[in-house]
Amino acid sequence: MTEPVIPKTEKVVAAAGAKLSARNLSFYYQQARAIDNVSFDVAERKITALIGPSGCGKSTLLRIFNRIYSVYPGQRAEGEVMLDGENILAPGYSLNRLRSKVGMVFQKPVPFPMSIFDNISYGIGHYEKLGRAEMTDRVEQALRQAALWDEVKDKLKHSALGLSGGQQQRLCIARAVALKPEVILFDEPTSALDPIATGKIEQLFAELKQQFTILIVTHNMQQAARCSDYTAFMYLGELVEFGETETIFTKPTKQQTEDYITGRFG
Amino acid sequence: MSTVAERLYLRRRITNGIALVLSGAAAVFGLIMLGWILWTTISKGASALGPQLFTTATAPPGEPGGLANAIVGTLTICLSAVAWATPLGILAGTYLAEYANYTKRGELIRFVNDILLSAPSIVLGLFIYTLIVRPMEQFSMFAGVLALGFIVLPVVVRTTDEMLRMVPTQMREAALSLGVPQWKVTTQVLYRAALSGITTGVLLGLARISGETAPLIFTNTNNQYWNFSPLQPMSNLPMTIYEYAKSPFEDWQQLAWAGALLITAFVLLVSVVARLLLLKNKQSHD
Repeated sequence: MTEPVIPKTEKVVAAAGAKLSARNLSFYYQQARAIDNVSFDVAERKITALIGPSGCGKSTLLRIFNRIYSVYPGQRAEGEVMLDGENILAPGYSLNRLRSKVGMVFQKPVPFPMSIFDNISYGIGHYEKLGRAEMTDRVEQALRQAALWDEVKDKLKHSALGLSGGQQQRLCIARAVALKPEVILFDEPTSALDPIATGKIEQLFAELKQQFTILIVTHNMQQAARCSDYTAFMYLGELVEFGETETIFTKPTKQQTEDYITGRFG
Repeated sequence: MSTVAERLYLRRRITNGIALVLSGAAAVFGLIMLGWILWTTISKGASALGPQLFTTATAPPGEPGGLANAIVGTLTICLSAVAWATPLGILAGTYLAEYANYTKRGELIRFVNDILLSAPSIVLGLFIYTLIVRPMEQFSMFAGVLALGFIVLPVVVRTTDEMLRMVPTQMREAALSLGVPQWKVTTQVLYRAALSGITTGVLLGLARISGETAPLIFTNTNNQYWNFSPLQPMSNLPMTIYEYAKSPFEDWQQLAWAGALLITAFVLLVSVVARLLLLKNKQSHD
């Protein structure tokens, strides 16, 4: 693994063992710039939270890391995103490869309209040809990692649409985890869930970071404070401040950051 | 002494009462007419219902006849029309929802499809007459199937388009984020999510054409005998009803009522199934 490159801009905080590095990253919806020259490092096997008011570009930033934006015409990213030293925005970097390494969980739980088992095996089957027994093992492993196994082990053949919202979201996490990615992106993963389901997913983050590099977009500042190791505060498409979560929430260096985390705007 | 507020409230209550009575009366009037039509169809058609209706072909007046050839013919023509229009309509609807959504081209095609959706069916019949019947110098079941298919086609395009667009964007993105290519996402995930809705569209299309007479007048016409060749006219219920109902023979008129009852019952059945499927589709998205 290459050492993270740290350009001489004050916005960058060097994180030990960067897994993912954004370098001078900008993003455009048609002509409108939504992200302006952002650079920061995402530490390996840590949780990095992206916070900021609505429309600040935090979700847009997240969506660059697996190039999900590329389905929409008129959306484009400029700059570099290095994953293990390779630029994932380079035209030669295959989407298939990128998405096997970078998984994503969305705001609304969206199980596919198939059985619980098939929801997990669907993605795996796209990359690996496994026998029945091996596939069963992989599905069980993924469901255990998402702390869902005990609740669904007797109804794997049932439709995933019958699960509760919180269970559906953990199923979506299991679906992402099943591909054995290296990075998992979470786009406001608990904003559609009740506090108990949210609590379960937050507990899960601590487990998941043993194995995965995690990036979370959240509107919930307590969640960022509770769960993350690093926090990036964005405002109007710019990265205002980035650092260790504790520092950001206790001794922010920028006035804007302090105003936001103390609830004065946003 | 009444205050201003009380007087305003009284006025609102009176207006509300009038609106309620008027709209209620309109609903009752509509229901009575519908019930009347259904009752007439059932009471006049039921007496001609019997096993021979389904076992005997149409016969000259005065001889014992049924509608067997017309029933089989109508089913064959309608199902053939649905069979060619459905795959084409699903493909076109998929293009609109998944590949041309939010584009000018997509909007234009959607608009043209809506025009086709409301085109008078006799115009479609004349179109096929000019295109197929005139050059072939022959009325045929093939031409009838084409004309009816053009009625089903825009219905299927529209429902496929709408049902696919009802599938949450995040489901698309979730499937794409697993690295699955777009065509597989469409065929393996989105079609499954929209399946009951798309089936509803096909069923509604089928219900719509099963009673259509106008497109058949210039294309298939009718046949009083059994025919299974697509290059010859095929016997069918709507044209038979049309001919029998205006005939002076009482037994033919009886059969026309029975045919009308059959079509009504068929449309009712298909519509109920379509409604149930649509309900299921809604539940799976909530």
